[in-house]
Amino acid sequence: MSERKTAVVVCPGRGTYASAELGYLARHHGQRKDFIAMLDALRDRDGQTPISALDGAKKFSLRQHTTSENASLLIFACAIADFMAIDREKWDIVAVTGNSMGWYLALTAGGALTPENGARLVNTMGTLMQGEGKGGQIVYPVVDADWQPDVVREALVNDAIDSAKNIHHSIRLGGMRVLGAEARGLKALEEALPAEDRFPMRLANHAAFHTPLLSHVPPMARAALPADLFARPSLPLIDGQGTQHSPWSSDIARLYDYTLGAQIDTPFDFSRAIEVAAKDYAPDAFILLGPGTTMGAPVAQELIRWRWRGLTGKGAFKERQARDPLFLSMGMEEQRSLVTG
Amino acid sequence: MFDRATIIDEAFTARVRAHDLPATLTETAPAMADLPGEVLLHLFETQMMSRHLDLMARRSKGRTFYSIGSSGHEGMATLARASRLTDMAFLHYRDGAFLIERKRSVSGQTALYDMALSFAAAAEDPVSGGRHKVLGGADIFVPPQTSTIASHLPRAVGAAHSIALARKLKPAAATLPRDAVILCSFGDASANHSTAQGAINAASWAAWQQRPMPIVFICEDNDIGISVRTPAGWIKAAFGSRPGLTYMACDGRDIADALRGTRSAVDHARRTQSPVFLHMKTVRLMGHAGADIEAAYTDVSEIEAGERNDPLLHTARHVIEAGLMAPEEIVVLYETVRARVARVAADAQARPKLASAGEVMAPLIPSKKTSTTVEAPAGESSPAKTKTGAGVTMQAPEKGKPVPLARHLNLALADLMRDHPEAVVFGEDVGRKGGVYSVTTGLQKTFGPARVLDTLLDEQTILGLALGLSQNGFLPIPEIQFLAYLHNAGDQLRGEAATLPFFSNGQYTNPMVLRIAGLAYQKGFGGHFHNDNSFSALRDIPGIVIACPSHGPEGARMLRECVRLAHEERRVVVFLEPIALYMTADLHEEGDGKWLSPYRGPDEDHTVRFGEIGHHGDGRELCILTYGNGYYLSRKAAKIIAERYNFRPRIIDLRWLHPLPREAILKQVKTCRNVLIVDESRRTGSLSEALVTMIAESGLKPGLSRVTAEDSFIPLGPAATQVLPSVDQIVEAAARLCGWSAGGTGRKEPERKETGR
Repeated sequence: MSERKTAVVVCPGRGTYASAELGYLARHHGQRKDFIAMLDALRDRDGQTPISALDGAKKFSLRQHTTSENASLLIFACAIADFMAIDREKWDIVAVTGNSMGWYLALTAGGALTPENGARLVNTMGTLMQGEGKGGQIVYPVVDADWQPDVVREALVNDAIDSAKNIHHSIRLGGMRVLGAEARGLKALEEALPAEDRFPMRLANHAAFHTPLLSHVPPMARAALPADLFARPSLPLIDGQGTQHSPWSSDIARLYDYTLGAQIDTPFDFSRAIEVAAKDYAPDAFILLGPGTTMGAPVAQELIRWRWRGLTGKGAFKERQARDPLFLSMGMEEQRSLVTG
Repeated sequence: MFDRATIIDEAFTARVRAHDLPATLTETAPAMADLPGEVLLHLFETQMMSRHLDLMARRSKGRTFYSIGSSGHEGMATLARASRLTDMAFLHYRDGAFLIERKRSVSGQTALYDMALSFAAAAEDPVSGGRHKVLGGADIFVPPQTSTIASHLPRAVGAAHSIALARKLKPAAATLPRDAVILCSFGDASANHSTAQGAINAASWAAWQQRPMPIVFICEDNDIGISVRTPAGWIKAAFGSRPGLTYMACDGRDIADALRGTRSAVDHARRTQSPVFLHMKTVRLMGHAGADIEAAYTDVSEIEAGERNDPLLHTARHVIEAGLMAPEEIVVLYETVRARVARVAADAQARPKLASAGEVMAPLIPSKKTSTTVEAPAGESSPAKTKTGAGVTMQAPEKGKPVPLARHLNLALADLMRDHPEAVVFGEDVGRKGGVYSVTTGLQKTFGPARVLDTLLDEQTILGLALGLSQNGFLPIPEIQFLAYLHNAGDQLRGEAATLPFFSNGQYTNPMVLRIAGLAYQKGFGGHFHNDNSFSALRDIPGIVIACPSHGPEGARMLRECVRLAHEERRVVVFLEPIALYMTADLHEEGDGKWLSPYRGPDEDHTVRFGEIGHHGDGRELCILTYGNGYYLSRKAAKIIAERYNFRPRIIDLRWLHPLPREAILKQVKTCRNVLIVDESRRTGSLSEALVTMIAESGLKPGLSRVTAEDSFIPLGPAATQVLPSVDQIVEAAARLCGWSAGGTGRKEPERKETGR
């Protein structure tokens, strides 16, 4: 046991399967036929395009690959398959967390949901959001070029929210803040926040997740997904409020209530989840499941804020990653090999 | 044989594996139906976290700096489960399990890392900022406590009193809900301490009169205080039948019985608003502290008997009997927690320590209250206005008429209570009687008994009440009747009020203005205890402010400034009132009325700011540094000096005795050839020594001399003046220092007319 390194696993959220990820499942997980077949059967039952077909499409299509009903389970498939690919002889997983929809994946990776029940949850929520999702999300950075907290930008974002009733906190995402609003609010935000590079950036096909605009969704979600889908996790979980759910003593009802309650319509604090993971589980590394490689920056940015393991800025992060990576992104070939053995 | 940590550690896994678990200790344990599986397992995990933190601390000498552990007291985790987050807790230092369980109930908390930081004295420790290993946190309603035995109990009683008071007065900055219960834990040995006895007595005294006192005292009885055994049955005998106090008992070694006991106690205190004494049996494992070799004073058989009842083994028995975990799973969990604690501790130990005196001392002066937390002034809509006098002006029939210091203070207090609806005055005889010197006269009638409260005769309780009230949004203005009475309660200022900002890294403060009637020279009412002239015990306390007026208008202005310091800057302020000047009317001759002035309210008066000194005259030949009665005597002496030697000394009223207004003093000293210090306190250890040192260290070289009290106590009757500075002594010392002789043969300064104050 002591030979193994410890890791916290981070599950990705929506928007992580982009054009570069097309074929990810086939490329990395061709051998997991049963798992993919189970997912395809679920899609087939609901008359939806199979996951294998989405992943195997010749061309990446925004409409096809990023809409809620398709992207959700596609990302689930890649991430959970990645999780299955982690060499557990080498890696002792001490906690699992995730960003936004990644929480559903964390529940699955952490054993609170079986892969089947996890897939059902993700696909149900993805489909529900397709129909019921309102508004959209905008991303804006609150760190500087060296990934240090930028109080001016932070204040700009807070002022924008405080000065308008229809703009809401959605996600604290390391050096990024995600805000949710309806169309007018999004427009107002784009006008209020100084433009810089791609920002403020709208997230295509995203609703105003984790905001009161989705307060009608929890009852629907609970009606569609019974509590007995959930079980006590087999690994510690850290949710979007930074709450730790122990495999030994989790209150399953609380886990269910959070997942299909506050998680949907109150802000998701991914930053806090990462802080809790680093401080209270002290892993040797963070393993970031694919698809995509976009989770590394927010995780590192949050830990730079805490000066974790000598991370003092973007430069120190790059140097550390080149020497002895603290963050292993399974969407990057060279880092993936360190995880899968 | 001496490494009990290893023995206990290894015994746990071995006995769980062998199913060699201790038999049940109590017949009162509830059915497991009352303890859901996930709750039991949550508590078990918490107990293991606490245990492994202790084991880590024992094995990381040089990397951690505190080894008094919680082992054997892990049953206290149940109290966190039985109470609400907002039930403010004042904890015994063995309550790591309580703290972990409470932190685990709050999203985003990092209980292990935070505890590991505090063991390592890391500057990022969120409780004390690396100043002490204390259990606390503002976000979990646990004001951190240090190790002073039972010194937190009076504060806890004060906080319990504040809950009902807040229901009535509704202070804007109240932090506790109206139905909160205060939790206060301590050991069986410290239950004997006068501070504990006084606090528990005060709670009983209140309950006896049907006053709300929602508090649970938890006595964690491990039978021993360092090496001295508590006599068998003592705690129950001593606390089992106190008036107004409900005694309950539980066995903290048995998690089910502990939860039954803590739930009953908390529920009873909340429901009945009355105090509960919960006698929780515990066992002390691994000795008192890391350096304590228990075998030196206890038979090994006794030590082993205690270890056989390790609470973790009892919990393991419950878990296995309930079919929740198999023995091997328990061992896996135990080892998983150990590994996790080790990793977390390694990170925590690598964090930076406080690296300079400036960093260490930063929270000694609290940061000012932010504008959002400053209470709104009482308006017409104040719900409590009619009952509590907010916005009401006390009648002053003598308006415009010259009045003495006591009346100035009385009227200033009334104005302050009018303007600060959260201000509360209390002490011995301050209510109906209006104080033994009438300084609080009329206040109770104007502002009601809730805001002007007669306490029982116990200075520790008075100060504890101030400490507890200030933690729930009140502005306490306690009174200590005589300076000599302060000393039996000094630790409440020194060890509690002054240290709280330091050990909480500024998260908690104790804003208050402590009025103390003191100093000597009373005519007709004498003896040391009513004429104590020593406040040295206060002067070395970092962070507090000591103010001392000498004259009515100054007194009112300074009192207002002191209230501002407490209210806006969250300071602990001692306002030392010279009793002998309370009613003094005349300065030079009987009937001259020169020590009287009309009272002016805050809107029509000017202000005196913190550190602003007073001065009379601007002569350059002699500067007299003094305060209180010394200032009054020096003013008398100045007239004689002017008549006899034709010099007009400059007399400085220091006003602020701690910290000394150094720059302002030196600015005056710099322009004078000679400095005479007139200090009514003792020659040894008095302010006069600090002033001489200050002047010497400044590089200024004036002629320097002191007139002080003798190193004596104050006798009764006319003999009192034998040991105190007199006008004649001041005149003689001034003449000697300046080389004057009668008739004015020395250097002369231009004649000026006395202008008064």
